[in-house]
Amino acid sequence: MKTAIRADVFQDLKGVGCPMNLVKTKVAFAKMESGQILGLILDNGPPINNVPRSVIREGHEILSQEQLADGTWSVLIRKA
Amino acid sequence: MQITVNGETEELQEPAVNLSRLLELRRVESPEMVAVQLNGEFVDMTNYPTTFLQAGDDVDFLYFMGGGSS
Amino acid sequence: MIDFTEEQLERYSRHILLDDVGVAGQEKLLQAKVIIVGAGGLGSPAALYLAAAGVGTIGIVDSDVVEVSNLQRQIAHFSADIGAAKVESAAAKMQAINPDVEVRTYREYLCAANIRKILAGYDFVIDGTDNFPTKFLVNDACVFLNIPFSHGGILRFNGQTMTVVPGQTACYRCSFRSPPPPDAVPSCAQAGVLGAVAGMLGTIQAAEALKHITGAGELLTNTLLTFDARTMAFRRIRLKKQESCPLCGPHPVITELADVERTVCTVQ
Repeated sequence: MKTAIRADVFQDLKGVGCPMNLVKTKVAFAKMESGQILGLILDNGPPINNVPRSVIREGHEILSQEQLADGTWSVLIRKA
Repeated sequence: MQITVNGETEELQEPAVNLSRLLELRRVESPEMVAVQLNGEFVDMTNYPTTFLQAGDDVDFLYFMGGGSS
Repeated sequence: MIDFTEEQLERYSRHILLDDVGVAGQEKLLQAKVIIVGAGGLGSPAALYLAAAGVGTIGIVDSDVVEVSNLQRQIAHFSADIGAAKVESAAAKMQAINPDVEVRTYREYLCAANIRKILAGYDFVIDGTDNFPTKFLVNDACVFLNIPFSHGGILRFNGQTMTVVPGQTACYRCSFRSPPPPDAVPSCAQAGVLGAVAGMLGTIQAAEALKHITGAGELLTNTLLTFDARTMAFRRIRLKKQESCPLCGPHPVITELADVERTVCTVQ
């Protein structure tokens, strides 16, 4: 399934473990306007299990989450 | 008569207990090192003898604590 | 917004992760100015934690030199520092923990003549002094300069602390009025103090400074927190701004800073 939504800001967090992936996600959000979309690439395992959950807890909205061919995940989040 | 002293309920056995007497009953060694608060209001030391406790009063002894540096 | 370096992101990651601090809170910390009065038992842990937290500018005031009897509780000073100025000893440790921090040292004894000039411009004051005249002077100066501060005191196994937001919450004089007579006062030197009690109290004071700067949580205002480390019983005593306060009440009698007896003061 391909999504048509375009990210305003993109961060490739491949190889970035917990919790620095969440730290970098928060820094990216801090520079964005409300309603803008952040695209992330997250590793499989703890990163994909933890980062979206924390992002939801802070009130942001996960628009899509899909696993790529190399096993990493592409996640689109709308800033609250 | 029941009052609260430092957050704990205390039964006063004597009638007409003023703040000076309460400090004695509580064995406060140096009253100069305590500020007294009665029902949330500061009471000046000179008024201890004339301040008599009533049932339900809430008394706090605030200890002067000065250490910190040397 | 500050552009954090990769190292800063790692260094402050545990703050940035906190919802109540976050990126914005860490930026505020890096731009904040806090001054610590006394580089002793309370000032040591406060100085180390504030430096570690990345408080951008930290002032530290003390006229003493490090003595061997300090080392049981004044954890910013090491055995090799004996004889060194406490402010220099503390500053070296703060810089070693975090080179982001600018430390300003004041090797002076605070008194009515110099306190305004030293405290002015700081966002928060930590009172880690060892004597009542200076504690009252810090309170009065903070009220006049409108600077929030944390009062702290320790004795034997006990500690007490309260945070004052001048004009809004109870000040130290609201509850304690004036210094006790000097002959009634047991000093740490005479009475002793459990070293870790200084750490507990100074660390609470540091947390209050960090909360004030970041806006996280609720400050320890209108409340005297006391504890007894023998039982680890903590108690919160409700305080309120007193109409009868000679300093911050509606009819103040203290309208200027003055040294109380026994405050030795030499202005360099």
